[in-house]
Amino acid sequence: MNDEILIKVENLHKRFGKLEVLKGISTEIKKGEVVVIIGPSGCGKSTFLRCLNLLEEPEKGHVFFEGIEITDRRTDINLHRQKMGMVFQQFNLFPHMTIMRNMTLALTKLQKLPKEKAQEQARALLRKVGLEDRADSYPSQLSGGQKQRVAIVRALAMNPDVMLFDEPTSALDPEMVGEVLEVMKELAKSGMTMVVVTHEMGFAREVASRIMFIDEGVFMEEGSPAEFFGNPKSARLKDFLSKVL
Amino acid sequence: MDFWLNIKDEFLRNFITGSRWEYLSDGLMVTLRVSFFAVLMGIALGVIIAIIRSTHDLSDLSRFNPLGRFFINLIDFLSKLYLNVIRGTPTVIQLLIMYYVIFASINIDKAFVAILAFGINSGAYVAEIVRSGIMSIDRGQMEAGRSLGFNYVRTMCYIVLPQAFKNVVPALGNEFIVLLKETSICGYIALQDLTRGAYIIRGITYSAFMPLIAAALIYLIMVLCLDYLMKRLERRLRRSE
Repeated sequence: MNDEILIKVENLHKRFGKLEVLKGISTEIKKGEVVVIIGPSGCGKSTFLRCLNLLEEPEKGHVFFEGIEITDRRTDINLHRQKMGMVFQQFNLFPHMTIMRNMTLALTKLQKLPKEKAQEQARALLRKVGLEDRADSYPSQLSGGQKQRVAIVRALAMNPDVMLFDEPTSALDPEMVGEVLEVMKELAKSGMTMVVVTHEMGFAREVASRIMFIDEGVFMEEGSPAEFFGNPKSARLKDFLSKVL
Repeated sequence: MDFWLNIKDEFLRNFITGSRWEYLSDGLMVTLRVSFFAVLMGIALGVIIAIIRSTHDLSDLSRFNPLGRFFINLIDFLSKLYLNVIRGTPTVIQLLIMYYVIFASINIDKAFVAILAFGINSGAYVAEIVRSGIMSIDRGQMEAGRSLGFNYVRTMCYIVLPQAFKNVVPALGNEFIVLLKETSICGYIALQDLTRGAYIIRGITYSAFMPLIAAALIYLIMVLCLDYLMKRLERRLRRSE
């Protein structure tokens, strides 16, 4: 890990109608960090993550990515999203395309790679997650764990600088959680910058370089896994941990 | 025996004498031409209106700048106006207005007027069908496309519309069948389509049975063919499931 700041968030506010979900969140995410965000459901952690690539547009505050303010309306967000991979709870593979096409669509259309080269890259990534033989299948023919692994490598194919995970294992059958977490651990080991919203405390403890606890729209507490789990400071976090551990 | 002789006689009198069958074949050509181009126009118009309507309904308008918001609200309003007027008035009236009011002072091909009237009419129904298809696609699909870096329009084209289209093929097929049969009112502007052709034969021979049954059978065969083609398309699109 070095000290280069990849994402900087300043005073982020987001409301849905009358409900104020984020009430002024600021943080910095450095290159190579694995930031795990936890918190009770409805606390705004997914909203925070989705604000990082502007799937949700904050009312107030700024998000900088690689030194450029992406919350500025003049910034072409589509360009920067190519460098921010995102993995969703519901996988969101494109059901009308084969796995191969799912992976090469953005490569050929956005990065203008020739088809053969895109397929070569896709195949290499699929091999890494053990799904090379499913290249010609359709998403509906895959299990949940396989779908999520494809979703991860689909985002990776774009060669992003950061990967955002929005509860990647929450929609999975319990026996499939492991295979997805395994892929994420490998990714973290390879030095990828990751921001992960999850309920998997084991993953947080093992992989995170920093854990952030969001409650009621603000960062309550943050720290390394050791201090976070070993010595929680706020009463709210103690209460939360006593329920989930 | 007498009955069959009678039938044969009727057949000859209605279709063969004076090549009267040509009223039907010429009419059929007009019906096919009007229906085909009206369907194409309906699809084009319908898809555009559907995209406008669903973009307006699905996006967070507060994110647009004031000018953009005004623009999308305006075209959404015009789209709704179009849908309500077209779906709220009889097709015959629309056809008559098109011919006797809008193109009243221009000497113009009647088939063209009919294509325009039926195309605009069908567009309204296709728009609502396609819109229901777009709305049925999980918003996660749009988000996944956007998160890969595609802009709104390209995500629509590559990801949302193909899936939406697949879902609405049966409803679209139904709309095409309705349109094909609806062209039978072309006679109101004295355009000689299949129905009008049969009607002319009846006027000459004073027998209604033969020409009308013949026209009905031809419509039925066309609809069955269309239905078969749509079913095949449906099956092909379902391959990924």
